[in-house]
Amino acid sequence: MEKLKFERPVISKINAGVPDKFGMRTFINPVTQIDGIPVKDIIDQYGSPVYVISEKTLRSVYQEALHAFTTRYPKVQFAWSYKTNYLNAVCRIYHQEGSWAEVVSGFEYNKAIDNGVPGNKIIFNGPDKSAGDLKKAIENGSLIHIDHFDELYDCIQVAKDAGKKAKIAIRVNMDTGIYPQWDRFGCNYENGEAWDAINKIMPDESLELTGLHTHIGTYIMTPAAYAVATSKLAQLAVRIEKKYSHHIRYIDLGGGFASKNTLKGAYLPGTDTCPSFDDYAEAITGALNNSDIEYGHMPALFLETGRALIDDAGYLLGTVLANKRLANGRRSLIIDIGVNLLFTSFWYEHNIAPAQYHQNDYEDTTIYGPLCMNIDVIRAAIMFPSLNKGDHVVISRIGAYNMTQWLQFITYRPRVVLINMKGEVEVIREQETNETMNMLDVVPKHLKRS
Amino acid sequence: MADRLKIKKYLKKENTRLFFSGIINSYSQIFFSTNRLFAAIVLVVTFFDVYAGLYGLLAVLTTQVCAYALNFDKNIVARGLYGFNSLLVALGLGIYFEASPYLFLIVVLAALLTLFISVMLQGVLGKYALPYLSLPFILAFWIFFLASWNFPALGISERGIYTFNDLYTIGGDTLVRIYEWFNGITVVSSVKVYFISLSAILFQYNVLSGIILAMGLLIFSRIAFTLSLLGFYTAYLFYMLVGASITEADYSYIGFNYILTAIAVGGFFIIPSKLSYLWVVVLIPLVAIITTSLNALFVVFRLPVYSLPFNIIVLTFLYILKFRQKFSPRLAEVYIQQDSPEKNFYSFQNHISRFRYDYYKPVKLPFMGKWSVSQGHEGEHTHKDRWKHAWDFIILDGKGSQFKNEGNVPEDYYCFNKPVTIPAEGEVVEVVGDIHDNAIGEVNIKENWGNTIIIRHDDHLYSKLSHLKEESISVKKGDRVKTGQIVAKCGNSGRSPYPHLHFQLQPFPYIGSETIDYPLANYIRHKDDGFEFRSYASPDKDDTVSNIESNSLLKEAFNLIPGQSLCFEISNGEKKHQVNWEVMVNAYNKSYIHCKESGAVAYFENDGDLFYFTHYKGSRNTMLHFFYQALYKVPEGFYKDLAIQDDYPLNVVQRKWILWIQDFLAPFYVFLKSRFTINCYHIDDVLSPSKIRLLSTSENLIMDKQTGRIDFMIDITDKGIESVTIHTVTRQTQMKQCAE
Repeated sequence: MEKLKFERPVISKINAGVPDKFGMRTFINPVTQIDGIPVKDIIDQYGSPVYVISEKTLRSVYQEALHAFTTRYPKVQFAWSYKTNYLNAVCRIYHQEGSWAEVVSGFEYNKAIDNGVPGNKIIFNGPDKSAGDLKKAIENGSLIHIDHFDELYDCIQVAKDAGKKAKIAIRVNMDTGIYPQWDRFGCNYENGEAWDAINKIMPDESLELTGLHTHIGTYIMTPAAYAVATSKLAQLAVRIEKKYSHHIRYIDLGGGFASKNTLKGAYLPGTDTCPSFDDYAEAITGALNNSDIEYGHMPALFLETGRALIDDAGYLLGTVLANKRLANGRRSLIIDIGVNLLFTSFWYEHNIAPAQYHQNDYEDTTIYGPLCMNIDVIRAAIMFPSLNKGDHVVISRIGAYNMTQWLQFITYRPRVVLINMKGEVEVIREQETNETMNMLDVVPKHLKRS
Repeated sequence: MADRLKIKKYLKKENTRLFFSGIINSYSQIFFSTNRLFAAIVLVVTFFDVYAGLYGLLAVLTTQVCAYALNFDKNIVARGLYGFNSLLVALGLGIYFEASPYLFLIVVLAALLTLFISVMLQGVLGKYALPYLSLPFILAFWIFFLASWNFPALGISERGIYTFNDLYTIGGDTLVRIYEWFNGITVVSSVKVYFISLSAILFQYNVLSGIILAMGLLIFSRIAFTLSLLGFYTAYLFYMLVGASITEADYSYIGFNYILTAIAVGGFFIIPSKLSYLWVVVLIPLVAIITTSLNALFVVFRLPVYSLPFNIIVLTFLYILKFRQKFSPRLAEVYIQQDSPEKNFYSFQNHISRFRYDYYKPVKLPFMGKWSVSQGHEGEHTHKDRWKHAWDFIILDGKGSQFKNEGNVPEDYYCFNKPVTIPAEGEVVEVVGDIHDNAIGEVNIKENWGNTIIIRHDDHLYSKLSHLKEESISVKKGDRVKTGQIVAKCGNSGRSPYPHLHFQLQPFPYIGSETIDYPLANYIRHKDDGFEFRSYASPDKDDTVSNIESNSLLKEAFNLIPGQSLCFEISNGEKKHQVNWEVMVNAYNKSYIHCKESGAVAYFENDGDLFYFTHYKGSRNTMLHFFYQALYKVPEGFYKDLAIQDDYPLNVVQRKWILWIQDFLAPFYVFLKSRFTINCYHIDDVLSPSKIRLLSTSENLIMDKQTGRIDFMIDITDKGIESVTIHTVTRQTQMKQCAE
């Protein structure tokens, strides 16, 4: 028989009969394995910390989202939001599933091309597109979403120089009844700026208005806001039909669907409060189906969902570095995952679970990262069982943004592994090394020792 | 202004063309033909008696001029349908009476009278959709024949007696010798009588004319030629049976009755078939009997019966066929007369296989996207007995499950709350929308159909959508609804243990009505390895199906509007030239592409799911003929690697010589096949495409062995049909849309 594990005694207050705000008691299920692979094995083989992406979850969530829309509307196209996670393997999985690419910079654009996305299946968003980027996009027949007038003028110029018609859409911002109203991107709907832009685009020979785009915000918990946005874009489409007899090819509702994470300050957990794909789909397709757009010319529906598609598929595995009592008697846990690897910890109460079975006693704990920085707090307060040094923890739902917004700080960024459909673990990004770090450094001659 | 002048000029030219084709067709129309070569042959034969020939031509001209002056339908005039009766009358008069200026006048009057009778009979018999055949000739000729007894100025011609004199005047010694040789050849006497019978149609009585006419008949139609022999020999055998001999002059002179009856019944007014041939065999003895009895009657008035027996039998038979209660493809009347038994036969064969459902209302699937059939026709649960022709549809995910989570609540089911659309245009006649949705596993047996919409599409064609979601129906009784319109959400009301959509077609507007077996127009069956195009079929259990989602590029490219002109630049290596076509529409609202240079036309249809050609008329040596072959049937939705097959009418694409052999056998055995296949090959982008490539093939097969093949590569862009590349065994030709 294996030797029983030593567990530290814990003194906890009995509060029988008085439920806390989540009910009677806290219980954290340990996450011992991901897609059937023991967490311990992954860490043993690939080090700690390590990012894990489940291909199975990735694909099934994508199918779920697609299904929610295609069963309500015949022409639906997702475009993978590169900034959410542009690991090549991840992008290619989405492209394999039929997703296009949505990029917001020349860098992302090139990445999409390198991932084998045909130019005409790339949506080019964002406020920063250089003349060179625009030229490339026009030549490839990509869909350029115009953010502001200066960009529109650039686009006209570049298209004329290239002698090719640019396929463009305009990004529209609008009041959909939510706060904050994102008005820094695109042209405003209510004050007529968007219509103004359309009136500049339509007569121009070098441009073809293919779509209308909006992105009303992020982590939108109210599907109704999408219905408002859809109706407003549809009204624009109808105006274009009336004035120019031009039928736009697609309406792009952007992203912003919430994943199931819990926002800081939220009263109830995200799993209970965040809308499902069906809720969003119902709102958007309902508004589109009920719009005044000519029946025979219903536009395709484009979605640039990022977060809600990938969050569930990502895990961050780490190891306990130390247990510590703070001066005020509060318990704290130091793990090897810092905020530089978990950028989203600034706005989510991340779901952290031990990777092994543990005693059922929980103590209010602060979880710190390994950085030598005061702000490196993963969870400020969580009812957590006591773990020993060397025990493993799993942070789930971290697929979105963390692998793009991560910071190389103090130490190397870790490996990213993929558990593929066959249940095999494959490295999809190697750990940084001293060489990678030094590769771009240039030491001036006078500082070199000869 | 310039346009009006142009139209006027065109009409004038067209009228002249119709006038002259009327003249020539009057000759071949005697044998139900509008074949030019055959007409020329008949024309020549009529001039074997020069005067008769001249009077014949005079009568035809008179008829044509009068018909034009009286402004009769120019298309009927052009087919020679008025002229041929006048021609027969004049030939008869010309042979019987001495040529004179007086006869000239008589012929003009006779032609006029024949025209009047033709038009009158057209009106009378036309009401019964019957042809007037040669009745005008018989009536007019009798009238003049009876009257002539009191016109002494009309001398009886002696030319018939001195045939050699005439022949000598026309062709000299040689012709006389040929004539003699033909009359002297020792052939089986029945064959000789056959030839004489043929020539007797033109009031002649010689083997040479008969042989020439028989050759003409063969050139015109193998089926008609076969039938002429069948008719004649049936009569021959019948006479042998009753102990008479057809070789006797009395009978032979009216031998053509059998020939004409056989052609009319066996292949011209009825699609040639085993049964039509059999009917010829049955009807010919009747013709013989009627001939004998009529002879007995008319001998009193000294009137010959001519083709009266043929007229009586054919008209009677065609008329009684109309009282059949059910259409039979084995003995089908010709509805669109193409003046050729072969053309009628091959078009009919093609039509039967392609447009069996032409008169069906197109009914679509009542939803968006892919749904699966959980219970089909004659299902194991509820689709039984009088309600067996119904479908239950659900939505499955990639793993084949119809719900997510535990499936304990209707919301877990993928189909629940999904849009339900109108399957075919119509009027809402019944709506029930306030029945609660059941919990999973429970059923409401009291209101077993649950929330339901019934739509009227046509007399005795209603569709019913059931088990809809409570309070989700957005239409009310009396609303007009269009195909594809969203009217409700899929629910779980009524006898529905789990959410699904029940769809059926029924003959009555009531909830609970029995069902009818009615096919769905066009849909796509989704299989693991691709797509299958289904037309006028019924989805089976476990089929995953969807409507054809039309592709904007294909839709626009094949949206050919009357008045639109199509211009292509043709290049095949060395030479380059242009073709100009125009899209037109005829009085029957049928659209067609017209090639101005060659006069060829290709009729087409576009039902929203498919663009397809229905008919091609004209020379085979045109680009339009290739175009017709290349785009014979094109889906308007793009589904990667979707292949569609169809058959061409044999007479449009098969080689002529092999068709001749087929013609003889056609009603009994078809060994030729002409197959069309099209494949959705490439699209650059499904949602906003800018380029689509289709590949199609035209194959000729003999006994399923390929004998010829043409491959086509069709490129579609936002400019329409950008190019069609034609690969034959020997060369490659490209049609490219002309630059604007």
